[in-house]
Amino acid sequence: MGWTTAAAVALLCAVLLSLAVGARHIAPGEAVHVLLHGGEGEAADIMWSLRVPRTVVGVMVGVALALAGTAIQGITRNPIGDPGVLGISQGAAVGVVLAISLAGVHSLSGYVWFAFVGAAAASVAVYAVASSGRGGATPVKLALAGAAINALLISVIQGMLTTDAATLDEFRFWQVGSIAGRDAALAGRIWPFLLVGTALVLSVARGLDALALGDDVAKGLGQKVATVRVVGGIGATVLTGVGVCAAGPIAFVGLAVPHIARALVGADHRWIMPMAALLGPVMLLVSDVLGRIVFPPGEIPAGVMTALTGVPFLIAMVRRKAVSA
Amino acid sequence: MTTSLIGRRPGDARPAGYALVRRGRASFLVHRRAAVAAGAIAVLTAALCVAYLCLGERYVAPTEVLNVLFGQDSGADFVVGELRLPRLALGLLVGAAFGVGGALIQTVARNPLASPDIIGVSQGASALTIGALTFGVGSFGVLPYFSVAGGVLAALAVYLFAWRRGMHAGRFVLIGIGVAIALRSVVHLFITKGDYLVAHQAQVWITGSLNGRGWDEAAPLGWTLLALAPCVVWAARAQRNTAFDDGTATALGVPLHRTRFGLALLGVLFASLATGAAGPVDFVALLAPQIARRLTRTAQIPLLCSALLGALIVVAADLPARLLFAPVELPVGVLTAAVGAPYLIWLIVRGRTGGRA
Repeated sequence: MGWTTAAAVALLCAVLLSLAVGARHIAPGEAVHVLLHGGEGEAADIMWSLRVPRTVVGVMVGVALALAGTAIQGITRNPIGDPGVLGISQGAAVGVVLAISLAGVHSLSGYVWFAFVGAAAASVAVYAVASSGRGGATPVKLALAGAAINALLISVIQGMLTTDAATLDEFRFWQVGSIAGRDAALAGRIWPFLLVGTALVLSVARGLDALALGDDVAKGLGQKVATVRVVGGIGATVLTGVGVCAAGPIAFVGLAVPHIARALVGADHRWIMPMAALLGPVMLLVSDVLGRIVFPPGEIPAGVMTALTGVPFLIAMVRRKAVSA
Repeated sequence: MTTSLIGRRPGDARPAGYALVRRGRASFLVHRRAAVAAGAIAVLTAALCVAYLCLGERYVAPTEVLNVLFGQDSGADFVVGELRLPRLALGLLVGAAFGVGGALIQTVARNPLASPDIIGVSQGASALTIGALTFGVGSFGVLPYFSVAGGVLAALAVYLFAWRRGMHAGRFVLIGIGVAIALRSVVHLFITKGDYLVAHQAQVWITGSLNGRGWDEAAPLGWTLLALAPCVVWAARAQRNTAFDDGTATALGVPLHRTRFGLALLGVLFASLATGAAGPVDFVALLAPQIARRLTRTAQIPLLCSALLGALIVVAADLPARLLFAPVELPVGVLTAAVGAPYLIWLIVRGRTGGRA
C-alpha cells in the first residue's frame, strides 16, 4: 500500500514537472493555479495548447506501454518481453508507413488501425518463430526473433522511404518516438482503445499469476491457458498499437517498468498492473522532461531518452542473471 | 625406399580432406573442398560481375565490357568504366570486408548470431557517422574514420558490459541487441536534427547503399584492406588454435585471451571499414561465413570463402537493387536484409542459436 501511494505521488510530481519545465519555465504553483482556475495570459496559453496535451498523451502512452510490457512478460513468461525489443512496435511502424504511402492516410486517427494490424502480425510472427524449434521460447531466442523481424521490417520501411521522399519527411519525425507536439484531439481519439486494452489485460491478471507457475499447474488450477494467452495477447497488441500510434516506437518502457513494479509489490499481477500503470507514465514523463532540459533550446525526443536510460537497466538485469540466457 | 612404410608416413599423417602442396622447402596443407568451393565461387562472382557491368538502363554487350576492362577504346567507356565499374569495385570490396569481419567475430564468439549488425557494431558505426554528418563535422572524405571509431567503441562497450567472470554467448548477444537498439534510436535522433537534405542522405546511408559511390570510397577501402591482408593471414592460422576448448588451448600454449582479442578487433575493424564505405549493409556479415562453412564443411569458418561469398552476395543484391525500380535505385541493404532476415529466422527455428558456431 505504501509503495502504491509513493508511486502515485511520484506520478503527480512527474506530471507537475512535465507541465512546468520547458523552453518557457512556468512555476509549479502557477501551473496548478492555471490548471484549477483557468486563467489568462501567456503562461495559460502555453499550458493549455502545449503542455497539457503533451502531458496527457505522455501519461496515456506510459500506461499503455507499461501494461503491454507486463502482459507480454507474463504471457511469454519471459523477463525481456518488451514491445520495442520484440519488434512489435516496428510492426506497428510498418503499418503506419503503409498507411502514409499506399493508403494515403495522413491523420493520426487513421494510422491507428494500420498500427494495430501491423503490431498484431509482428507479435504473432515473433512468438511463432521463437517458440518453434528446440527449447521453446527462451529469452535469447525471443530477442533474436525480435531482432530478425525488426531487421526485416526496417528493410521494408527503408525500401519504401527511399522510393518515396514525401513519406520520408512525414515519417522521420514519427519514427523516433516522441510525445512533443501532440494535440488534445489525439488524446480524445485514443482513449477508447486504451480503455479496451487495459480492460483486456487486467481481466487476465489472475490467469497470468497461474501461468507464472507453468502451463501444467495453471491448467490444474482451472485456468484456460490458451484463453489467457489470446486475451492477454490481444490486450497487449492493442496497447502497443495505441502507444506506438500516439508517440512512435518508444522502447524499454515496457521492459523496465514491470520489473520495477514486481520488485516493489511482489509477484501478484493484480498488484503489479496498477503499479506498472502508475510507474510507466512516470518513466516516460521524466524521460521527456529530461530530454527538454539536456540540450536547450533543442529537445531530445522521449524515445531516445528511454532507450538511453533503458539499456543500462537491461544490462544490469542480464548481468544479474535475472535472465537465464 | 619409397615403397617402405617409413617413407610414406609423413604423407599418411596428413588430415583427411587435405592436399599437401610442396614448393621446394616450403609446404602447406590445402583443404581440397575449400579450394574447390573458393574456385567455384570466384568463377561465379566473375560471371556475375560481367552481368553487372552489362545490365542497366543501357544494355552493353559483354564483348564491349571486356574491351573496356582491358583498356581498349569502346563506345561504352563512360557507362561501364565511369558509372558501373567503380560501384562494382566498391561492392566487391565491401562484401569481402563484411565477410571476413563476420567470420572473425563469429569465430571468437563461437556463435553464428554474433554478427556485427546484431551486436551493435554497425549501429555504433552508423551513429557516429550520422552524428558527424548532421553536425557538419566531417566531409564525406573523413566519414570512414568516424565509422571505424564508432564500430570499435560499440564493440568494446558490449564486450565490457557482457564480461562477468568470463564470457557467455547468450549474455553477449542479449546485451549486444540492447545496445544496438539504443544506438539505432540515437541514429534516428541525429536524423531528425539535420535538415531535410542531410536526412535523406543519412537515410540512404544507414540502409547501406552503393548509389553514387565509386573510386573515392573504393580506393581507400581497397588500400586499407590490402594493408590488413597480413593480419588476415595471421588470423587464419590463429583461428585454428582458438577452436579448442579453453583448457586444451591454454595447455597447448596458445595465448588464448590475446589471440581472441586480436581476432575480434580485426573482425570489428573489417566490419567498421566496410560500414564506413557503404553504410551498414545488413546481414552480409551474418550470411557469408555461415554459407561458406556449410559449403566447405571445415571445422573453422573459412576466411577466403567468406570473403568471396560476401562479395558475391553484395554484388548479387545490388544488381536487382539497381534494376527493380529503375530509375529509382534501392539501397542494397534493403535487399540483403530482405534475404538475410528470413535466413536468421531459419537459424532460430532450426535451434542453432545458443550453441557453438
